[in-house]
Amino acid sequence: MTRQPRHPQLLKVTDPPVMVGHRCTSCLRIAFPPDPYGCEQCGASATELEEFELEAKGSVRAVATVHRHHHLTPATPFTVGVVELVGGPVLKAIVEGEAVAVGDSVTGVLVDGEDHEGNPIVDLHFRVVT
Amino acid sequence: MSDRSLLSDRPVFVVGIGMHPYQRRSDITYVELGITAVRAALVDAAVTWTEVEAAYTGTALLGMGSSRVMLSRLGATGIPMTQVENASASGSSAVAQACLEVASGRSDVVLALGVDKPRGGLGAAPAQAGIPNLEGGSIVPFTHFALLASEYMDLHGVSDEQVARVALKNHRNGSLNPFAQRQKVRTLDEILSEPISGSLTRLQCCPVGEGAAAVIVASEDGINRLNVDRSRAVQVLSSVTRTEGLYEEGVGIDAALTAETGMAAFEEADVGPSDIDVLEVHDAFAIEELLYAEALGLCQPGEAAARVESGDFDIGGSCAFSPSGGLLAMGHPIGPTGVGQIAEVVRQLRGEAGDRQQPEARVGMAHMVGIGAVCVVHVLRR
Repeated sequence: MTRQPRHPQLLKVTDPPVMVGHRCTSCLRIAFPPDPYGCEQCGASATELEEFELEAKGSVRAVATVHRHHHLTPATPFTVGVVELVGGPVLKAIVEGEAVAVGDSVTGVLVDGEDHEGNPIVDLHFRVVT
Repeated sequence: MSDRSLLSDRPVFVVGIGMHPYQRRSDITYVELGITAVRAALVDAAVTWTEVEAAYTGTALLGMGSSRVMLSRLGATGIPMTQVENASASGSSAVAQACLEVASGRSDVVLALGVDKPRGGLGAAPAQAGIPNLEGGSIVPFTHFALLASEYMDLHGVSDEQVARVALKNHRNGSLNPFAQRQKVRTLDEILSEPISGSLTRLQCCPVGEGAAAVIVASEDGINRLNVDRSRAVQVLSSVTRTEGLYEEGVGIDAALTAETGMAAFEEADVGPSDIDVLEVHDAFAIEELLYAEALGLCQPGEAAARVESGDFDIGGSCAFSPSGGLLAMGHPIGPTGVGQIAEVVRQLRGEAGDRQQPEARVGMAHMVGIGAVCVVHVLRR
């Protein structure tokens, strides 16, 4: 059975996994996450935004290990990073591993998890490329 | 007509300030919190409630319809009352609306009040916008700022200890403020203990409690009519609100938004960064003071940590940053915070701040950011 992503509109479960953003056909801005309403740069409506695949590769611009958290998941400690994708957009995501440093190259990995109802899903995290 | 011409054509003055101390959540009702602050502001201004022509209440957590049930206990005068919600800047926006109402000529004497009590979670609307992202619930506000701290420290070669010195200073300032939620001088070791997220520790994160703050603003006509003590009136030179634009990928939005809002506020006030003697800044997390000091042009990029370390941002330095203790020590009860900042700046500019008085304070600034993102900046002059 194909593993289902938590948010199917963000992710294609392939090997390697592919991230899905949008490109505005009016101003050509590439954005992640894809927006269901319109383009923040030129105001074009969602009908003018097309799916745009992004490689899940980038570099770490900032990193923080979280020791206390407002929610039960993820369990602490966990590490999050600001990742600048090779395709341009910058995003925040969980980065696997303990020794993550600014400047590290990272690649996307699929991680098994559960949705709110306990159903199995996969999330995209990043991992340092060694 | 721009706010600039409004505020210069029909000047607006803060004539009264009042506080209910910020504190941990208690059984005290928000009504009691709010009217305590308003009564104090009326006494401070020597104005009666019946002279107040309109009221704006900054609140983000109380729910619908809080103003009248509270303020009618001062007398149900039937004046227009409006709740103002702008995330952490709700109180700042209540002040902005009160200033606009006076500057427009619609009223001569208006109340801006901030009041809130904490509840479970913030109920932030952006999370309900139907725009999923990869981070899910993993990035809460303190982690957002821990990531900004990571980027700043890496870029400028600043240490954890240097960032922690912001909290060291602001806890010291808070110890001198009877309205502060945290009134204890801390050591650097204490501040560096109890990690929360990244380099941020518990004492480098603001407490969210309850409280209230009130300011009364008036026109020249109002001051003359009510025989208010003109020597204690503090003029609002500028009131600027902006929301997040579309910045270069990866640029810290909070600092970029602060830079453009601050620039507009300086222009409207016709003053520059070097004129600011007192600055109440949105230091919900210690790293923010460094980011905003630079974004507002009070020092060069990468220089803020050294300025804090040198004591230049202490009370008695070139500019006193958050002499109230800031959000880190005075606290961040959300609705009251922006109004409380104005109260502190006014107290400083009047020379009535006692042990935490910045000498010769003449021009002050109050700065808040909030989820959305929004930024509100006021400049005041005695």
